[in-house]
Amino acid sequence: MREFIVRRCIYTLLTLFAVATILFFIFRMLPGDPTAQVISPALDPAVQARLQKAYGLDKPMAVQYGLYLKNLVTLNWGRSFTTAEPVFAMLIYRFWNTIFLMAAGLSFTLIFGIGMGMVMAWRRNSPLDVGSTLAALVLQSAPPFVTGILLLMTLSYRLDLFPTGGMLASGTPLMSGIRLIASADFWHHLVLPALTVAFYYLATPMLIMRDSMLEILGSDFIELAKAKGLSPRIIMIRHAARNALLPVLTVTSVMIGFAIGGQVIVEQVFSWPGMGQLMVQSASSQDYPVAQATFMLLAVVVIFMNLLTDISYGWLDPRIRLGGKAS
Amino acid sequence: MKEFLFTQIRIITRHRFGAFGGLVILFFGVIALLAPVLAPHDPWTSLATADGRLAILKPPSTEFLLGTTSMGRDILSQMIYATRTTVLIGLSSGLISIFIGANIGLLSGYFGGRLDEVLMRLTDIVYGLPFLPFLIVLISLFGRNIWFVIIAICCIVWRTSARVVRAQTLSIRQRQFILAAKARGAGDGRIIYRHILPNIMPLLLLYTSFNIAWSVLAEAGASFLGFSDPDNLSWGGILYNLWISGKIRVAWWWFAWPSICIILLVSALVFVSRAYEEVANPRLRQR
Repeated sequence: MREFIVRRCIYTLLTLFAVATILFFIFRMLPGDPTAQVISPALDPAVQARLQKAYGLDKPMAVQYGLYLKNLVTLNWGRSFTTAEPVFAMLIYRFWNTIFLMAAGLSFTLIFGIGMGMVMAWRRNSPLDVGSTLAALVLQSAPPFVTGILLLMTLSYRLDLFPTGGMLASGTPLMSGIRLIASADFWHHLVLPALTVAFYYLATPMLIMRDSMLEILGSDFIELAKAKGLSPRIIMIRHAARNALLPVLTVTSVMIGFAIGGQVIVEQVFSWPGMGQLMVQSASSQDYPVAQATFMLLAVVVIFMNLLTDISYGWLDPRIRLGGKAS
Repeated sequence: MKEFLFTQIRIITRHRFGAFGGLVILFFGVIALLAPVLAPHDPWTSLATADGRLAILKPPSTEFLLGTTSMGRDILSQMIYATRTTVLIGLSSGLISIFIGANIGLLSGYFGGRLDEVLMRLTDIVYGLPFLPFLIVLISLFGRNIWFVIIAICCIVWRTSARVVRAQTLSIRQRQFILAAKARGAGDGRIIYRHILPNIMPLLLLYTSFNIAWSVLAEAGASFLGFSDPDNLSWGGILYNLWISGKIRVAWWWFAWPSICIILLVSALVFVSRAYEEVANPRLRQR
């Protein structure tokens, strides 16, 4: 098992390295001036020349690549073209905002999705089951901006129950960390975007829990439990669900990896100050240092989630651990 | 070829949802093809109502069946032309990506060894790229052009089908009839494309449908954020125009039609995929 984890970690590092390299080349392939990704073209030419020397942009590509990797690893991510803030500081603040939102949405999804999946499997082919499956499929087909705007239109514009965007009321000084979580305003603003994120994720755990439960409910030990005369509720929760839970949990990390895109959209719709919104902003305003760093950080999250998935699959299914050569 | 088509139609229509899905796809396909004929107005001209005033933000009426935008443009016409763009992008990206994915999966699974290692590492790397941010980066760097959108989508969507096809190929490769073909001296190319490929057809068609669905969703997302071709409007693009006009509170019709169409088309594709899933994975039929 340990060897498996080590192998996976090495592959993950290689993947990270490859993604960083791809990023390096993409941004260098800009039509036009390749140095524009570090030095804003809006500056005076003499200043640009001096900055070029200072950043080492007049050096050969290989040297630049080395510098790029070094800066990436030492967290020296440059300064924004638009605000001249250090990129790293910007990202740390937004990183946690995104994580809060993702965590909130995910918790709701898991609680509701697993619960519903359980009930759906128990009452198989009932109107509840069929209706929920349909609802799940529709939710899966709806881009997150559709559900988000729908929630906004109903709960926010019409009923005025929730604010229309942002993380805190306008004019509130910036908060982060514990103070942020402790403020009621934060939670009030969190509800709608978290719901949207939750709906976006919902279909997968729900349907997988249902399928998993159906498979388990056909097993012998459930027959035994029924024969023992245990109440349906106890069988469902204590015996079936506990075993059915495993596939859902492993799928969760895959889900998160795939759903980063949805995160970006939700943050844009609700003006939530997270990495996703920054990605869109910086790409639109051609703020290359920020766009590059944000993409890299998002990729790191995805790759890390993939690593977690691989490790959890390896833990569950020994065949994967021992290398798929056995046939 | 003809019996291939008939078989596919039979597979899709046998499944309740599949039939619905097929119909919806056909519907949008026809609209996409006949767009210039069907659209009552030019999607870009600001229109006037009967009494000569600019038809700004008009709700659906007999004159403007789906309503108008804040620039007085007919939404029905925009929707019809946007169907063409969306279908084009979805279909192209879906088909190209399945072509890439299937080939990588087949070659990887069949030859194994070094090639397999390299291709699977490549797939892992592509799995590490977040889909929408990658689209955003590519489109913002290279230009807002419909072809870059298609290329960008294709770069990512092939990854799932590659892994699945590889897994299937690995298992089929061991079968008796493959060994028999080899014994008769069949070359690798012939074995892959004449023997293995037909056996993974249901799986391929399943993933073609999924790929198209994911392409449509991704394109809608990127367009909504503003990363699309301004000359070739798509459904997501219409919603982007709505969002930046700030009229979202007032114009429910401007929001409703593109959203409904996106949901319909993607669900339809997912239903068709499910119909194929039952063929590709017979265990599911019993549930």
